[in-house]
Amino acid sequence: MIGAVAQAVAVVVGVWLMFAPAVLGYGGAPADNDRIVGPVAASIALIAIFEVVRGIRLVNLVSGAWLVASALLLGYPAAGAVSAVASGAALIALSIPGGERKNRYGGGWRAVFTGATEADRRGRR
Amino acid sequence: MALTSGAPPPGAPDGWTTNPSSWGQRLPIIGLATAGFVIAGYLALFQFDVLSTVWEPFFGRGSRRILTSRISHLLPIPDAALGALGYVADAVTGAIGGTERWKRRPWLVVLFGIAVGPLGAVSVLLVIFQPVLFSSFCTLCLVTAVISVLMIGPAFDEVLASLQALRRVRDRGGSVWSAFWRGTEEAVPA
Repeated sequence: MIGAVAQAVAVVVGVWLMFAPAVLGYGGAPADNDRIVGPVAASIALIAIFEVVRGIRLVNLVSGAWLVASALLLGYPAAGAVSAVASGAALIALSIPGGERKNRYGGGWRAVFTGATEADRRGRR
Repeated sequence: MALTSGAPPPGAPDGWTTNPSSWGQRLPIIGLATAGFVIAGYLALFQFDVLSTVWEPFFGRGSRRILTSRISHLLPIPDAALGALGYVADAVTGAIGGTERWKRRPWLVVLFGIAVGPLGAVSVLLVIFQPVLFSSFCTLCLVTAVISVLMIGPAFDEVLASLQALRRVRDRGGSVWSAFWRGTEEAVPA
């Protein structure tokens, strides 16, 4: 369950970014940045809520790292910088745990590329 | 849906605890696609000037600005109409076939994945355009984007099952091309 919950929280972080420029009152490059990274991060997390595609959450490690870096690079005002760093750190933290698995998928996406092992067929993930 | 013990449900792929082609898994996706079609169809009627106003509870003239923008009319037919067609494609490719279609009709399942995946990606792109290019949001456009993205996870377990089945055909030395179009004849594990 923790895996899906972490991704749901990451969705909230992404949605916050979409509205942060309006709430905290800034425009220009920082605002555009938030309004681009926000929907991307929220969408990745919304997809990753589902166990079979949980792996895509790792993309948000990049989203989070970029947000932290952009707080230094793009000239955010103070409140915006705090928001960007906090959101970025949250995205990174929320993208690390995969969470426990409820279902088995015959080896998952790896099995498509490398072939299923005997353990995959018997039901190991 | 969770089966941590006991036998897998009928039609489940090798090593799976669920059958991704079961109706319990597919009906919610078809329902979401239908809802997306209704909303996108409504927005398209506004873009075609059949309706003179559009519902917008939060962002003032946001919906109007976005739905009449240059980007939304970049293609021969307005973007909401294209979206509505996309949802029809999702619903139709989601509905055709029985509960073993992941192995009997891989081409259909892959087509379903293509209909769901890129449509979701395009709707995220449109969500980015709204504030960045037009400094506004369109509530119902956001709702359809959520619907599009929400369908991706549930749809892709079926795509995974089909791709795994094709991989097994290849590992057995069979023709992936033929299995893609005609299905694989593997026995369901008892």
